Amino acid sequence: MRRLIPVLLLSLAVPAAAAPALAAGAAEPVAVSVLVPITGFLALEGTAQRNGAVLALDKPPAGVSVTYQVADTATSPEVAVTALQRALDREQPVAVAAPIFGTQMLAMAPIADRAGVPLVTVSGTAKITELGHDVVFRFFPTDAVVKVAQARYAVQELGMKKPAVLYQTTAYGQSGREHLARTLKQLGVEPVLEEAIDPGIKDLVPALERARAAGADGLLLQLHSGPTALAVRQAHGLGLGLPVVAGSAMHQPTTAALLEPDQLTGVCAETASSPVSEADPRVAAFTNAYRERFHSEPDAFALGQYDGMRMVLAAVADGARSPQAVRDWLAGRRYQGLAMDYVSDGTGNMAHDAVIVCYDGTGRVPTIMKRYDAVDGVR
Amino acid sequence: MTGPDRRDLVYLAAAAAGLGGVVALGDTYALRVATLVGIYAIAAIGYQLVFGRLGLLSLAQGALFGIGAYTSALLTLSLGLPAPLGIVAAVVAPAAVGAAVALPIARLESHYVALATLGLAQLALLAATNLELTGGANGLYGVPPLAVGPVEIVGGWPMLTLVWTLVGLCLLASRAMLAGGRAARFATLRDAPHAALTLGLNPVPARLVLFAAAGALGGLAGGLQVHGIGVVSPSVTGFEVMVTILAIAVVGGRGSGPGAVAGAALLIPLPEVLRFLEGSYLAAYGVVLLAAIVLMPRGLDGWLRDRFPRRPPAVPAAASAPARRRGKALAVDGLRKRFGGVTALDGVSFAVSAGTVVGLIGANGSGKTTVLNLISGLETPDAGQIRLGGVPLAERPAHHRTALGLGRGFQHPEFPEGLFVLEAAAVAARDRSVALAALERVGLAGRAAEPVAALGAAELRRLDLARTLATEPGAVILDEPAAGLTADERSALSALLRRLADEGLAVLVVDHGMDFLLPLADRIVCLDAGRVLAAGTPEAVRRDPAVVAAYLGQGAAA
Repeated sequence: MRRLIPVLLLSLAVPAAAAPALAAGAAEPVAVSVLVPITGFLALEGTAQRNGAVLALDKPPAGVSVTYQVADTATSPEVAVTALQRALDREQPVAVAAPIFGTQMLAMAPIADRAGVPLVTVSGTAKITELGHDVVFRFFPTDAVVKVAQARYAVQELGMKKPAVLYQTTAYGQSGREHLARTLKQLGVEPVLEEAIDPGIKDLVPALERARAAGADGLLLQLHSGPTALAVRQAHGLGLGLPVVAGSAMHQPTTAALLEPDQLTGVCAETASSPVSEADPRVAAFTNAYRERFHSEPDAFALGQYDGMRMVLAAVADGARSPQAVRDWLAGRRYQGLAMDYVSDGTGNMAHDAVIVCYDGTGRVPTIMKRYDAVDGVR
Repeated sequence: MTGPDRRDLVYLAAAAAGLGGVVALGDTYALRVATLVGIYAIAAIGYQLVFGRLGLLSLAQGALFGIGAYTSALLTLSLGLPAPLGIVAAVVAPAAVGAAVALPIARLESHYVALATLGLAQLALLAATNLELTGGANGLYGVPPLAVGPVEIVGGWPMLTLVWTLVGLCLLASRAMLAGGRAARFATLRDAPHAALTLGLNPVPARLVLFAAAGALGGLAGGLQVHGIGVVSPSVTGFEVMVTILAIAVVGGRGSGPGAVAGAALLIPLPEVLRFLEGSYLAAYGVVLLAAIVLMPRGLDGWLRDRFPRRPPAVPAAASAPARRRGKALAVDGLRKRFGGVTALDGVSFAVSAGTVVGLIGANGSGKTTVLNLISGLETPDAGQIRLGGVPLAERPAHHRTALGLGRGFQHPEFPEGLFVLEAAAVAARDRSVALAALERVGLAGRAAEPVAALGAAELRRLDLARTLATEPGAVILDEPAAGLTADERSALSALLRRLADEGLAVLVVDHGMDFLLPLADRIVCLDAGRVLAAGTPEAVRRDPAVVAAYLGQGAAA
């Protein structure tokens, strides 16, 4: 029997060790759960989300007290669902800062819907607000907004007539490519090349050479952060001399940090906002606070998540003390955030503006070149 | 029947403790984690069949998990099939894919298996990511939950009960697949592949069946997963799932079904337990995983096995009488074999009549072992014929030759880890009483219930001979069976070989011990540089000047 004792202890150790971590997070007075991907291929974006949410939750409005816990959802739906289930059971949150990864949102939304707990996210995946779950609130413009801005700027401001589109094989890339193609068609422009790029590809010279051979007069990128930097660097190295309008990854300071300023000359990007570029003192204060707290530069995902959580706190301050009340408040009110004014289009899409930023070759902080407000007609 | 092992009781106690922990925690989250443990346990039980039992580092189990998930999702979403039928398809489709994978890689070993199966995994990931049918990178969503009649099983206790009932059934199925001596045969294929071939064990059907079974269980796990969370995305076919299953199998203990369950119970909740560490939890997870492997290199099951050894097999009350198999003459004619630029054999011909012992001698490198390898089918001749009882063997695979009555003993016999002597001897026998009879003939019957690991080098040679005799051959070819034996043991072996010949077997013996071979053999064939230098009676060969010059030396002829 003595031999059995270590075995029994081991079998009991797992739930016993789990208990302290699982039991933490009492919902007093209101709890918010931060469930974002801080590991895996979306770690950069997820960390920005986490930082934005934490910055908002650490300084709630007067009269509001908040507790929160951060959990990593990594990059699989199953991990995200487990994290959500844990939060719902152990933290009883009034709202959840939810992952930027659309596939995870698709898995979490039905569960959050049954619990009536709002999910506040900056995910760009169109479907998450199209399935009738009235608990999803997106504080980042969808592709229906930012891709329109990207295509319009390329065609109407830069005069592209024969763009080449390089897009990622992920949901982000596929969705962006679809919206770009639609808008370009509306503008009477047909891409001379559309090429899918696997996230693991480490050399984009062949794709760029194909763009040159196809006679492209500009590049439209819908790539994640690393591949965007690679495409810009290699395009510069090849001397393509083509204007580049990239996806939102290019506005991220972490992406710009991968490139030399001269490589960034003439490179533009769409985004919801660019905190490091804004002169608005309120945004500048956010940027400074972010730098001080996290020793890094904020991006549009951080600001979007910050605005989303601030809106949740505003709801709580206004007396919404239950998940359902917060959900209703988010769905029915207009909120002036730092990046833009937010209001639901009826399905949870709260952001409707986009900006185009460009680098001038002298530094890594882009300039806001053009604002596209209410692109989808909401507001 | 020997009753349950004490390890089984330990596992049952651990399961009861785990259930108690879940009941104590009691919320939906705890039930979900426990359900996930069960799902991954099912996938790992399947993986143990390939990774543990066959020793093949397949990297396709994650993909098979994903194929099951996508199959059930597609059928329920697109065709409106009820979820239980989707689950059935989730079992069948990956089983078929698993079997299809097993065929082309049937002859591959080690890292080649890993590369080939990695290719399948990459194909599955590419298809899931890029096909419109699979929903592209977003995947498929809105997959309905399992249902029994109008009652949906969306989670909680019903899902937990279903999943763990299936875990139990999978363990029983796995155990059934390994019953009746199959565990020993799979272990021999894994750890002693050359011996397995010459014992008549065919690796192809074994791989086919076990890959299919692994696919079925992987697919079942994937199907349960997708109906549990309602979403499937390409990440389910990704490397992360594969690594998780592999880690569970390693930590659980190679080849053990209950170990797989224990590994899943340890590893699946671990990230949840460590999640409070935020960005550092993966590092902590890695440290715990590394510690588990360092502290328990044979996994949880191996750790338990050291403390609660497996019960020895039941030894039959009586050995069966030696089979009166007809002896079969063995003949080789004009055998040629080259290895690159080296000619190992160049027109070797000789015969071993039924009821005789022929000794094959020659200096090191003269081609003796190559002759045995060609006869037993481990190598293919470039030219020449081999006949056993008049039947041509050259075109037949090794395991067919065993069925025709050829037995082969090895100079350095290999035995799989963890077997008892009787199990090792019975690996290719009709039944265990035949194996016991063979053990009796080599003087090991009294040690039938001991672990093979307890035998010394000389005893292992005798065990090798016993498992060969247990196939009831008509001819045996033995590679230095007397090496390392004491004088008494050599004398006993010589007597045994003579008895085998007297019973009608053709016996071909390679040995360097002339004091052993010359008194035993009816004829001697001496090879030199791949050619027959001399052949005849022992006395004639011993006195042959060419043999004396090339091999025996002047002293031997005196």
